[in-house]
Order: sequence, then C-alpha cells, then structure tokens
Amino acid sequence: MYRQGDVLMVSLAPDAVPAAAVDAPSEPRDGRGRLVLALGEVTGHAHAVVGPGRLIREAGVFGPMLLHVPDGARVVHEEHAAISLPKGWYRVVRQREYVPGSVRIVAD
Amino acid sequence: MAEMDSWRTVAAATGAADRAAAEEGIRLAYRSAGLTGPERVVWARSPREAVQVLMGTPGPDGAALTGDETGASVRPAVLSAPWAAERDRAHRRLGPQGWSGHWHATGAGLWESTRVLVDRIRAGVVEQLADGRETETRVRLLLLDAALGQHDAAWLSAFDTDRPGPLGGAAMVARAAGWWWPYERVAVVCERPTELHRDEAGRLDRADGPALGYEDGFELYAWRGMPVPGEFLGELASLDPKRIRDEENAELRRVMLEFYGYDRYLAESGAVPVHRDETGILWRLELLGDEDVVMVEVVNSTPEPDGTSRTYWLRVPPTTRTAREGVAWTFGIAAEVYQPLRQT
Repeated sequence: MYRQGDVLMVSLAPDAVPAAAVDAPSEPRDGRGRLVLALGEVTGHAHAVVGPGRLIREAGVFGPMLLHVPDGARVVHEEHAAISLPKGWYRVVRQREYVPGSVRIVAD
Repeated sequence: MAEMDSWRTVAAATGAADRAAAEEGIRLAYRSAGLTGPERVVWARSPREAVQVLMGTPGPDGAALTGDETGASVRPAVLSAPWAAERDRAHRRLGPQGWSGHWHATGAGLWESTRVLVDRIRAGVVEQLADGRETETRVRLLLLDAALGQHDAAWLSAFDTDRPGPLGGAAMVARAAGWWWPYERVAVVCERPTELHRDEAGRLDRADGPALGYEDGFELYAWRGMPVPGEFLGELASLDPKRIRDEENAELRRVMLEFYGYDRYLAESGAVPVHRDETGILWRLELLGDEDVVMVEVVNSTPEPDGTSRTYWLRVPPTTRTAREGVAWTFGIAAEVYQPLRQT
C-alpha cells in the first residue's frame, strides 16, 4: 500500500485481479506519455505513472482503477515526492470526504 | 490526451464568443441536417436572457421572439440525430465494451464536472424566471430545446468532429460560443460566461463574488460547489463561532464552518481531540440539533517548499472512533488494513 497525497495504491495479489481486467483496454497516456491516475481539474497537477504499464478504469469516473506495472514504476506529482512502486497489480483509490447525506472526492 | 485538454479548455472557456465562427458553425449544422435555415441568428448574453427572448421579452438588440417567428425546434435534426448516428457508428466499430472504454477515456470525466455546471445553470434559469407553475413548465421546456455549445464539449470529445463530418457544425459552435437554440427560422445563441471560478475538484467555488457570471447579470453563487445566496457570501467575512452555532440551516452552517476554518472553530469552541495515533488526530464537535462533526487532522507527508508541513482536516462519518479508522475511511478501506509502506 502506497500513498501519494489523495491517491492510495493498494497492491493486489495476482489471483485477486479481476479476470476482465487482464484483457481490458488501457487508459490512454497523456501528452507526456504518462498514465494519469488523478488530474486536478484546475491546476492541471497530476498523479501520474512514468514507465511501462497499463491503467484500467473499472467503473465510475473516479475509479476505482487498476494499475499494472510489470517492471515497477514511479508515481510522480507536481507537489508530492515521487513514489517507487514494485512490479505488480494495484488498485488505485481516490481519497474522499464525508458530507452529511453524500460523499465527495478530495482533490489536492 | 492533447485533444482532451483542448476540449477541457472549451468547456471552461470564458469571455466573448467568436460570433462569426459560431454563426458559421450553426449554419453548417443546419446544412448538414439538410435544412436551409436559419434566416437569422439572434444573440443573447446568457442562457437566462436567451430563454427570456424566446418567451417574448426583448433582448439586448430589441429582438423578442414568438413561436410564429422561430418555427419549431430543429434540435433533433441538427444535433440529436447526427449525434445518435455517430454513436451508432462508434458502437458498431468498437463494440459495447470498446465503446464503454472509449467513453471513459474521452468524455466521461469531463462530463462529470460539466454536468454539474449545466444542472446549476438550468436550475438558476428556472429559479430566476419562473414565477408560477405555468412559466416554470414553459422555461423547462425551452431549456430542453437548448444545445449546450461549449458545454457539449465532453460529448463531442468522444466523436470525430472534423469540419465536413455530421458533428462538424456543432463542434464549431462549441469552440466559439455558449448554449444555442436551433429553430426552423431563427437560431438563438449565447455568449460564454464572463466569470467562472471552480476549485480543484471542479466545483463552482468563490467567496467574494459570483462563481459563474454572464454579461447580462445572470449570476450563480457557490462556495465549494454548494449553492449559496449572494448576500450570504458577504456575511462570511465577519463570522464568529456564535453566529455559526446559531445558523439553523445545516448546509449553510457547513459552508460557514468550512469558510471560517474547522481548525479555528475547533480552537475557539474549546473542542478537544478525542483520539490520536500515528495517522493523525480525531476531533469531535457537537452541534445542537445536528449530527456531530467528526474530523481527522492529518499532516501532509511532503513538506511545502518552505519546509513546513501542511495540516488539513477531512470530515469523516460521525461513527468514527479512531484517527486511523477515519483516515482509512477516506480511502474506503478498513482501519486494520490501512498500512501505507510509504507516503508522500
């Protein structure tokens, strides 16, 4: 389990990876060739993965998403220190906040 | 992604429309649909003003329109039909699952934030123009005829919008102007907002003025996405804990608390931390006649450029008992599972 700001990456055992995800298409990379885990709508700051890998969006706009980095990867952000991820599968979770009657996503 | 960035910019664009390009786009959309019109294009300064003009109130150039002058809505032919055809084409080409992936990679995220904006504009127009059940129905029906111009960006991003294609006209309007109403003989088209202020999560957000404003004075106020009355914002600068406690509307009280700062309110109200562990501090604040405010105080692991660490508060469910449980909840996992090996 690794955390960069409002994004948590929880490592998944290979047998816990949903079968549908293995063949699912990957999210496209951004203009700089990165896989964007979360994008700040206004600043454009992004939690992004550099290096080979695939990002699979499961359901819903804010994820959860699955990340596969066969050789390991680095997660970068404009305001947070980079994180090195060992190779494998991860579930990517965005932080949320309690609001009476609903729940909303945190953005940093 | 570069393409998505450009559509993102379109959706959030403010300032004067490119009227020539918008009118060319409108005419192109009519032609692509096999229509000759519109005979004329009428400009309005906001969606509210456009609806007023369509209800017979003279607009800025003195033009008031009646159903006889405009003819019937041609939105189905000009926008809905080409759209449905393009969607079918994409469906056939990509398959249901492929289409779903394509939509998630293109419009889904942008629509999520744009939809909120569109809903707020619709609600604002209804609220400000409807003075009875009859006018309300009328306003709502007119809003259904609207094409969303720049706010169609999310949908357009999922399709091929080359100029000669079926959606070329709609894409040109989207890049040049705000909402538009295509009728047989007349098209009504809006300027873009003059003000649009959103927070990092894309929610309408401004403390010292309208979060969304148009040239004709159509304005919407919001604090971190929460719609608030304009005069309420003026009061925020002079808040004190007693005023916050006395506020009976729970939603407005939440806005007040957020604006005032939970930390400051906690300190001045003599609140005490109820639990502390290596993940942070848990605070509980009792509110009369409302559920308790329970928050985790967390220190950002990455120091700011000046070397200090930023502290922030996240509200968690009132049932939360420990700081770890609170932080784990913010990520949707159980307290005993929350164990980051490294965090920045």
